[in-house]
Amino acid sequence: MVVEQFSLAGNAALVIGASNPLGRAAAVALAEAGADVAVATTTRSQQEEVAANSCANEIWALDRKGFAQAIDAADERDVDSLVERAVSEFGCLDILVNAQDLHFAQPALEISLAEWRRVIDANLTGVFLACRAAGREMLKRKTGRIVNISSVLAERGMANGSAYCAAQAGVLNLTRALALEWARSGVTVNSVGAGWIDAGGFLADENMKRQLERYLPYKRLAEPEEISGAVVYLASDAATYLTGQVVWIEGGALSHV
Amino acid sequence: MGVLDKLKLDGNVAVITGAGRGLGRAMAAALAEAGADIVATARTESQIEESAGLVRDKGRRCLVVQCDVTDSESVNAMVDASLGEFGRIDILVNNAGGATDGFGNSLEAITDEQWRVGIATNLTGAMYCSRAVIPHMLERGSGKIINVTSGFGLRAGRNNFIYTSAKAGLINFTRSLTMTYAPAIQANLIAPGLFPHGDPAMEEWWKHGKFVPMGRLGADEELGPLCVFLASDLTSYMNGQVIVLDGGGLAGGELPTRFAPVVPLESE
Repeated sequence: MVVEQFSLAGNAALVIGASNPLGRAAAVALAEAGADVAVATTTRSQQEEVAANSCANEIWALDRKGFAQAIDAADERDVDSLVERAVSEFGCLDILVNAQDLHFAQPALEISLAEWRRVIDANLTGVFLACRAAGREMLKRKTGRIVNISSVLAERGMANGSAYCAAQAGVLNLTRALALEWARSGVTVNSVGAGWIDAGGFLADENMKRQLERYLPYKRLAEPEEISGAVVYLASDAATYLTGQVVWIEGGALSHV
Repeated sequence: MGVLDKLKLDGNVAVITGAGRGLGRAMAAALAEAGADIVATARTESQIEESAGLVRDKGRRCLVVQCDVTDSESVNAMVDASLGEFGRIDILVNNAGGATDGFGNSLEAITDEQWRVGIATNLTGAMYCSRAVIPHMLERGSGKIINVTSGFGLRAGRNNFIYTSAKAGLINFTRSLTMTYAPAIQANLIAPGLFPHGDPAMEEWWKHGKFVPMGRLGADEELGPLCVFLASDLTSYMNGQVIVLDGGGLAGGELPTRFAPVVPLESE
């Protein structure tokens, strides 16, 4: 049955950045599809830790196994020990979802080197570290699925968004390069390109949000649950011949330009 | 509702052009498995019957309509027959197409007629079918159009003028459908890589996919789940997008040169 090819029953997944709306929706969708799911934060903020714990509760409520861990996703020791814990608790790791997200908007002339590094580290270097740690396990078993969540700002620029846009674009080409490197090792690496969602950050300004809604073909922002289905598809046996690609779910925003 | 329930297409009706073989047949079978009733169309009626058998084996209804997508009267009659039989069309898969006479010709060697037929088969047919179905979809307030383009819609090929032009045109035609009819209608594309459809000569010609990053060619059945994904409620916010299913070919761009740039892949 074709629908069963999308099932993730018996799979073990790790979602980093499940403390934000897209990561949370991805983690819950993977659990709904049958996977056990461990979740982690992007930074060690109290607020993110609470959000990750609440996401783990949703996973348990679906009768799936999992745990929540607060990490600094840009710290290699944190990331390595997170992946080790997932492998030791689940026995293996089939799926990695990178949903790290640190919003940052400043005029370029006002960005300090430390701020630039913080944004690149959280949004891009953290993805590399997680792919490297999970890749070690996946290449050993010659099977694995990696899904890196990126944004329309990977493909289009935004004034005052230089650091964030550069990091997001980096995620896309990191995805393509890893996909080629691991194509014959049974590991696929793809990206889900997310449209605009109402997650605060850049859209904390109501005026900007209203302008954006008028511009979008759907005349509304996306719900995170409208994007997470693509994570399930890419993580499943329904997508065996697909690697090195971006699956955009963005309500036609990119058809404009 | 769980995420997997959103994949179910029970009660939906899907029209598939070029359903007599290959990817069209695989998509018809997959959509039927997910619960949709099927209108299977192709120019050659004898081939469609086998596809219809697959659909009926899965317990779904199948209407077989002979249709030449390059003839708008034939397309309109096919859509009328589909609505007459089922009363609705939820999904349109514009899959008919392929290499036509003159494929591989140098520019000077392309005749007016070869160009006309190639563009008609790979671009105009999708326009005729969309034009015939969209008023009905708008009346019902929803519809999904899935257009099958090609890796050659995204990259160029030496002496590949007709096919690349038509398939690239199909991509921007689809994006304009998005800009015009979203959100009521969703229009997305599938770009398959190299699929030999079980033809040993094609497998040989493509060296069994040794130069593809994944090291193999695509199997028709691998396209079915993607078609179901795009036809389902899982992708309600996806519009105007190309999903490339090519074993990594376009990610590295080595397909045209048949070797991997910079770092050779595992040698065989």
